[in-house]
Amino acid sequence: MADLETQVVVVGGGATGTAVLRDLALRGIDAVLVERADLGTGTSGRWHGLLHSGGRYVVKDPVSATECIEENMTLRRIAPHCVEDTGGLFVLLPENEQSYGDAFVEACEKTGVPCEELSLDQARKREPLLTPNLSRVFAVPDGTLDGWKLMGGFVADATSRGARVLLRHPVVGFERDGDQIRAVRVRDTAAGEDRLIGCQWVLNAAGAWAGQVATLAGGRLRMAPGKGAMVVMVSRYVRGVVNDCRMPGDGDIIVPVHEVAILGTTDVETNDPDDISVDPREVDFMIDACAQMVPAIANGRVLRAFSGSRPLYKAEDAAGDSRDITRAFFVLDHSERDGPGNLLSIVGGKLTTCRQMAERTVDVLAAKMGVDADCATAEVPLPGAEHGFHRLADPLATVEKKVEYGELVCECELVTRARIEAAVDQGTTELDDLRRQLRLGFGPCQGAFCGWRAAAIVDDRRPGENEPLANLERFLEERWRGQRMAVWGDGAVQALLNHAIYRGTFDLRPQQEPAETEREA
Amino acid sequence: MRADVVVVGAGPAGLAAAVALAEAGRQVRIIARGNGFTHWGPGAVDVLARVGGKEVGRPLDGVPELPARHPYRLLEDEVLRRAIDRFQRLAAAAGLAHEGSLDQNRRQVTALGTLRPTCLVPAPAARPLAGRVAVVGFAGFRDFAAGLCARGLRDAGYQASVQAVELPSWSHERHFTAVDLARAIDDAGFRSRLADRLAGATRDADVAVVPAVLGLAAGHEAWADLERRTGIALVEAALAPPSVPGLRLYAAWLARLRELGVRLQLGFPVTGLEVGDGRVTAVVTEGASRPIVTRCNEVVLATGGVAGRGIQAQRDGSLVEVVAGLPVQGFADRMHYLADRFLDDHPLGAAGVVVDAELRPLDTTGKPALDGLRCVGSLLADHDPTAEGSREGIALVTATRVAELLAAAPV
Repeated sequence: MADLETQVVVVGGGATGTAVLRDLALRGIDAVLVERADLGTGTSGRWHGLLHSGGRYVVKDPVSATECIEENMTLRRIAPHCVEDTGGLFVLLPENEQSYGDAFVEACEKTGVPCEELSLDQARKREPLLTPNLSRVFAVPDGTLDGWKLMGGFVADATSRGARVLLRHPVVGFERDGDQIRAVRVRDTAAGEDRLIGCQWVLNAAGAWAGQVATLAGGRLRMAPGKGAMVVMVSRYVRGVVNDCRMPGDGDIIVPVHEVAILGTTDVETNDPDDISVDPREVDFMIDACAQMVPAIANGRVLRAFSGSRPLYKAEDAAGDSRDITRAFFVLDHSERDGPGNLLSIVGGKLTTCRQMAERTVDVLAAKMGVDADCATAEVPLPGAEHGFHRLADPLATVEKKVEYGELVCECELVTRARIEAAVDQGTTELDDLRRQLRLGFGPCQGAFCGWRAAAIVDDRRPGENEPLANLERFLEERWRGQRMAVWGDGAVQALLNHAIYRGTFDLRPQQEPAETEREA
Repeated sequence: MRADVVVVGAGPAGLAAAVALAEAGRQVRIIARGNGFTHWGPGAVDVLARVGGKEVGRPLDGVPELPARHPYRLLEDEVLRRAIDRFQRLAAAAGLAHEGSLDQNRRQVTALGTLRPTCLVPAPAARPLAGRVAVVGFAGFRDFAAGLCARGLRDAGYQASVQAVELPSWSHERHFTAVDLARAIDDAGFRSRLADRLAGATRDADVAVVPAVLGLAAGHEAWADLERRTGIALVEAALAPPSVPGLRLYAAWLARLRELGVRLQLGFPVTGLEVGDGRVTAVVTEGASRPIVTRCNEVVLATGGVAGRGIQAQRDGSLVEVVAGLPVQGFADRMHYLADRFLDDHPLGAAGVVVDAELRPLDTTGKPALDGLRCVGSLLADHDPTAEGSREGIALVTATRVAELLAAAPV
């Protein structure tokens, strides 16, 4: 007997899974989403935050480019509060292949990506820290996207329409009846026991982990995760996104996200999507490459480095470097391939196109289920959309205006006690989860001042639920894993001062074994 | 400009060295980029709390187990005794009595409810936690959480309960620090109203733990006054920076320097030395429009390690001593000077300049690098002030040693 019955089980709480859940809910299809950790703890929480204009793909992957610009416009409409409308530039450096400039303009036109050439004076006015050594500059409607906010919005909207979400419920097996999956077995990690979710359909939205999920279900699916490293600088450096105008390659983009700038990326093929290690040489390489566009980055302060696993799908016979694999997405029907008759896998794609991926997937599923409701996700705005675009100064303005916001617990990211208390009251007790929800500990001190304050608040609101010093230790160690690759200069001063606070003043000694996996942003 | 001895750095080592040198009759000037560890630390005197990760009960018992070139091994135990005596006298004269001695380490309560091992603690942190302990939080003060502190104390076997006290009304910014609150408590009216509330909240307790914010301007007087008014023993718990006990000590050193006629130039990073005939002749300071040269006979570097910015860690993994370019005992690349776990010891914390027993920095051949130059405090190699719990002890013993060495030298 199943513990829970539903029409569709969605596996994976990243951007795709949450977008699918919302799409199903809007079409009146009952669904349960299961996620092994917290929302956005896989690739959707480990990316650079770029709302693609498509410019990056116009020459190399025109299909992706068109998908990007369509979805860019859609997200600006349905979720403007998750978007900072920064705009973006493509800068052609003198050492680049100069003919790429004309090719870029032509490809933008073909793919429908708006593109305007700026004079060098206009460009420098817009981005004062740009190198003076420029050949040409093009403006495109890039932006930045808060992925966690978007996923939170999808889930809030879906659950308000009856969908259910089970976090920290990894899939451990599938109950089959012939070639049909009858139920999904998940492990409730808090309770330490398994639960069975009876269902008619399973939608595998596990991204880079989709191969593992499909295999567990008796299907066959080969993912080719591409590991990409990124570097977080302590301040923004640029007002909008800055891209190197050449074929996509390593270290060619600077994305200003909230208070920081993220430099991206590298691409290393890997077999294990949980391998998110960063080689210090990748850090050095990206700083040097991005400093070609914005020289101040060469001597700037680095906060941390992290990597994520791109959910790339490689058809069995394809060969070559993983950057050559298309960024477009595929809906795979396992009944036509290899296995269960009621399993669909959605693979490939990018965070920018998550809504469109969900639409195509649910179109396929709805047809199979005989549901004829049209997709409404491109029209119905998310809760919070009335706020309009996110602006960098919004959090500060809110804190300054509203006395009831009270104490600032995280000064770097302007996180108040009231917001932490509200999140804890809703059941979040792990500091690392509060970090993703509230941006706690993202700033220059990397949690040194807010970490223990937040641990105390959690224990005060929910006594005994999460041992505060162990909670704090996990948080500090998580922050450290990202910093460790990039400690020098002012970062080294900060690291040793933080160490002097926690080991010196507070005499906190390591109690726990290092965690096996790391989560990031 | 001219000085006899220039001390570079205004942390515990530089301040203590300047006082000791001036008391020994030298004419001294301090030039520093900014404040040092006084403002960051827990406001106690750590001498030697751990060796190889194990606690030592009596600091001097741990010294033989330290590496051969550790500053405590380079210097006689007697120098450390004199340094601690000298510190106790200065602190007491400034109304900042410290409890404890080199005979036994003791414990200091922290905001996390841990009991950190240290050697000397200021009197407001020194009352025994005997009987019923009330841990008192002040509403709206974010740097102390009574529940967390009490929980730690209970885990350590103490009978600790939690009490909340609303602060009397006072004029402050919405987000106030320990220093803001300490200044408010300096005001007699505010303090008297706070005392009434504290007394009410601690009626059933034998001792009360409070955040280390009980007054700043008049040494330990505000603490003593609150004890008198409330009739209960008060124990200040160490907080994250800024450190009120550290600021009190900084003020005491500053007052003594003023009495001795020592000038303190803060906000002037020293960028280099001038040298003639193998001997230092001047220090060069970054000025607003041009370098400022201060001629002198001796230079004492008290610029700190990597944390104090006396040493700069570079992206390529090299470590650069910022004033004289002295060789730094370091590591091959940046991945090797850090531990995988944040809370473990980091080799970078022990990076420093190798000196001889007269605190002269050595060049790569093992000979004194430059006449007239000495190094003190966390700048020295072969010790890790955080991992060992030795920061203030190293600062004081090297400061005393340098003053004793230079006292005999001609002015």
